[in-house]
Amino acid sequence: MKNIYIKGSHGAHFTPTVNFNYETGICELKGESYLEDTIKFYYPLMEWIKNYIKTIKKELVLNVKLTYFNTSSSKCIIDILNILKAYEQNEGKVVINWYYNDKDEEYEDELEEIEDFMIETGLNINNVPYN
Amino acid sequence: MEKNKEKAKVLYDMYSFASQNTIISYTGPFDSQVLAVLAANIEYSLSKNPRIRKKIFKIFIELAQNISYYSLEKLDAGDGNEFGIGILIIREFDNHFTFATGNIVDSKKISPVIHKCETINLLDRDSLRQYKRKLRNLPPGIKGGGNIGLVQVALTANNPLDYKLIPLSEEQSFYIINIKIDK
Repeated sequence: MKNIYIKGSHGAHFTPTVNFNYETGICELKGESYLEDTIKFYYPLMEWIKNYIKTIKKELVLNVKLTYFNTSSSKCIIDILNILKAYEQNEGKVVINWYYNDKDEEYEDELEEIEDFMIETGLNINNVPYN
Repeated sequence: MEKNKEKAKVLYDMYSFASQNTIISYTGPFDSQVLAVLAANIEYSLSKNPRIRKKIFKIFIELAQNISYYSLEKLDAGDGNEFGIGILIIREFDNHFTFATGNIVDSKKISPVIHKCETINLLDRDSLRQYKRKLRNLPPGIKGGGNIGLVQVALTANNPLDYKLIPLSEEQSFYIINIKIDK
């Protein structure tokens, strides 16, 4: 297995920074997510996670620190969370930390989004404030 | 000569209308370069108010993407890509901002969108979130479109959608979305 590292960018579209490490089991997704072709970007990430689950079979920690994501991205995030939910149901260990800026005036909207992801997938997501 | 005067008058009327309380207005193709410039403009012109800036930015991305994908009027970029044409106006008033978009649509295909607008306006915030969760589980639309852009717009603005459909012919209508964002 290979690690994934994608450096985020903020141009005509916004690419999040991706850091998926199979040795530590820590997967980071941070920055802004608004892509020209959302599925094309997220599909390899989903495949990586499936592969990790199949071959490494250890704990997977997903750290999300997205300051902005559009609705297309949120659909792909749901797909990732559903893969992790299935892993958890098969005795896999999964930890999801979702970082939100509690200095941001709109952080209640962000908490609502996290709650929606939890309800929709049945996964537990830890809300972690940062600023 | 008279004709030129008339044209000048039309142009002036357009200008007076479009510039009243206006922060940003744009008419033309919604290609990714234009979207990037508009996005940068929003960041810049609303930098004094980060809360409003974030809301308007979120609304902008969803509505601009809708025009780009679904407007019937398209610009052929020549590289196999097509971009929808439409209009966008952001205005500021004493207690609120308005965000309006308009584009030509296929009269026969628009009814599900109008139905979605009607549904959105009937729902309170919790039901709207539930509706969003339901729609998010449906298969994706064009280019991974989430089917939930309009719902997200209503949630972000925390106001109902003011929408209108002006029939232009049997096949075409002009579809307008206007949303209020309180200060």
